[in-house]
Amino acid sequence: MSKAVRIQAEDFSQDDEIKELKGSSKRMGGIGTFLGCARDFSEGRDVSEISFDAYGSMALLEMNKLRSDAIAKFGLLDARIIHRIGTVNGGDNIVFIAAGAEHRVAAMEACRWMIDELKQRVPIWKKETTPEGESWVVPHP
Amino acid sequence: MIKVLFFGPIADRMQMRETQLEFTRGMTMQDAIAHFSVQHPSAFSIVAFIAVNQTQIHDKQMVLHDNDEIAFMAKYAGG
Repeated sequence: MSKAVRIQAEDFSQDDEIKELKGSSKRMGGIGTFLGCARDFSEGRDVSEISFDAYGSMALLEMNKLRSDAIAKFGLLDARIIHRIGTVNGGDNIVFIAAGAEHRVAAMEACRWMIDELKQRVPIWKKETTPEGESWVVPHP
Repeated sequence: MIKVLFFGPIADRMQMRETQLEFTRGMTMQDAIAHFSVQHPSAFSIVAFIAVNQTQIHDKQMVLHDNDEIAFMAKYAGG
């Protein structure tokens, strides 16, 4: 069984993550998921690749706290958060969040809350490579 | 010694990811900021968050301790 919160360079499988989430409880009646992907176009420019940097130890601490907070806040049965670092190309997976609850509303609201909070709380940065050069992404909602 | 970390856009502007700061008794975070920001104003103009030992702090008068790990960070852009 893989850890529920991970930062990793390699790609992940949504099917595997959902299988592990479902395996944690047969009371789970709803699962909300969010998959963040790399875009090949941003701010009017072609993007050939995106590189991620992270304060790994703090990011893992924050992601684990975020998962615990979501479980407590929404009464989830389980949750998983996986974020990639290193370099990805257009269409590649970046982040996966899954929230499992007894019912759909808590699962979907918790999933939305976790990705919004991740962007505010987790020390990760991304740099886009474009024909004009490289530039760090300025966060936006 | 205090371990000092830089990431992402700040590491680029600092042209380094890690350095050390000599610890002196009573040293505060504001002292550490002053030490680096004078030499690297461009990097420190985008510092949005500061962490001590992997925990974000807001009080720049916080007293540092020997062997602390501090990090100067720009706005996060994960996800």
